[in-house]
Amino acid sequence: MSEVFVEISGLKKSFGTLDVLKGIDVTVNRGDVVCIIGPSGSGKSTLLRCVNLLEEPNGGQIVVNGVELTDPDVDIDRARTKIGMVFQSFNLFSHLSVLNNLTVAQRKVLKRGEKEAQEVALRNLERVGLKEKANAMPAQLSGGQQQRVAIARALSMNPEVMLFDEPTSALDPELVGDVLGVMRQLADEGMTMLVVTHEMQFAREVADKVIFMDGGYIVEEGPAAEVIGNPQEERTKTFLRRVLDPTHHGPGDPE
Amino acid sequence: MAMSKRQRAKVFRGVQYGVLIVAALLMAVFADWGKIQHAFLDLDVAAKLFPNIIIVALKNTIIYSALGFAFGLALGLVLALMKLSSVGPYRWIATAYIEFFRGVPALLVFIAFAYGVPTAFQLRFDTYSTVMLALGIVAGAYMAETIRAGIQAVPKGQIEAARSLGMSAPRTMITVVIPQAFRIILPPLTNELIMLTKDSSLIYVIGLAASERELTQFGRQAMNEYRGMTPIVIAGFLYLIITLPLGYLSRHLERRTGGKKVSVV
Repeated sequence: MSEVFVEISGLKKSFGTLDVLKGIDVTVNRGDVVCIIGPSGSGKSTLLRCVNLLEEPNGGQIVVNGVELTDPDVDIDRARTKIGMVFQSFNLFSHLSVLNNLTVAQRKVLKRGEKEAQEVALRNLERVGLKEKANAMPAQLSGGQQQRVAIARALSMNPEVMLFDEPTSALDPELVGDVLGVMRQLADEGMTMLVVTHEMQFAREVADKVIFMDGGYIVEEGPAAEVIGNPQEERTKTFLRRVLDPTHHGPGDPE
Repeated sequence: MAMSKRQRAKVFRGVQYGVLIVAALLMAVFADWGKIQHAFLDLDVAAKLFPNIIIVALKNTIIYSALGFAFGLALGLVLALMKLSSVGPYRWIATAYIEFFRGVPALLVFIAFAYGVPTAFQLRFDTYSTVMLALGIVAGAYMAETIRAGIQAVPKGQIEAARSLGMSAPRTMITVVIPQAFRIILPPLTNELIMLTKDSSLIYVIGLAASERELTQFGRQAMNEYRGMTPIVIAGFLYLIITLPLGYLSRHLERRTGGKKVSVV
């Protein structure tokens, strides 16, 4: 009964002579949360950034909600309004207040009226617990607050899928929980999500599917309990050992 | 008598102050202050300059500078966007324009504009339009480079965020990049305005009617009339009345944006 919402097939991407993605196939069903894990340089962020064409693929096909994004004639701006994205470095518009960060694209892109845009914005700020910060400037907020505003900004466009690119990696440890809490709530509400993350606990508890990437390939994928709890591939095991138990490995340990 | 390093430095500094005081005293005693004042700041002459040096000359200097700045800013923005364009010919034109007008003296451009352009193209401008175009054409070349640098200094993540919200490339430029670029380049732009205010003195070459004179031309005219440097000195002080606050503003903005950058990044 589950309907395929994102379909990636044979995706290739290279930067100059460096092949970052060497043929990736991923399907995401509507309402599913898919977490992508893997060592740095494995291509997981590039994969995510290809899903809204922030990176232009060199080969393969990406279909989101029936729209083929890799079609050269696609209206990418329109497609992107349905694909929310949250960045590692928040990327709030630093010259706009929190409220205007949430309304600017609604008004300029979706052509919503001022009043409607503000209502939508305030509703989404409430969802992330920051309604009282509507008139603050981004620089006045903590990292965790900025990231929650960034999530609210993406949600204000009423996206059908949300992409998270290491959303907690730039945060102080005690602020990570707030952001993950918002993401978990979003998952519970049935949002389709693709999440690049190092938060294994989150992946274990929230993800419907976990993908482990290394060297531009998908090495292993499946339910969280299997990929994280009982990995089959040697590379997955090594990576998880290092991430879950970093103090027990010297720098020179063999792969 | 052995002196420590600190004591030697103290004595050395004392000697320097002493020399300065002696020089000042010598000047005060031996200079013919009456003559100097008569040449540079004759109060009777100064009194005759007012109020016209304010209500005509200072006013015109401000108007010319503002017009030139406004036109230069608009032109500079267009040139900066051309220079960053993916369309080759736009880039080449912008580069050629910038290199040319930064490389030749502003005075030559003004002369060409005053005597060449009207005959060549059968155009007649009033003085204010001529000044605006002449000053702006040169200033635009300088500002284009400043604006381009500002646009490139806007973090890439801002553009990615805007595009991921569905904004088109031009929309992103207008809504996100340019407003932030101008915050970054406000201090250097203020400096451009100071330069422009001083360069406005060069427009005397286009020939100005009495009511159109700006500070320098007004001063030169008054100098012929009254003999002595006084009008030029007063004009100089009036330039400072414009440029010093601008300089202060520029430094203030620099401090503010400098501090802000740290907190944002």
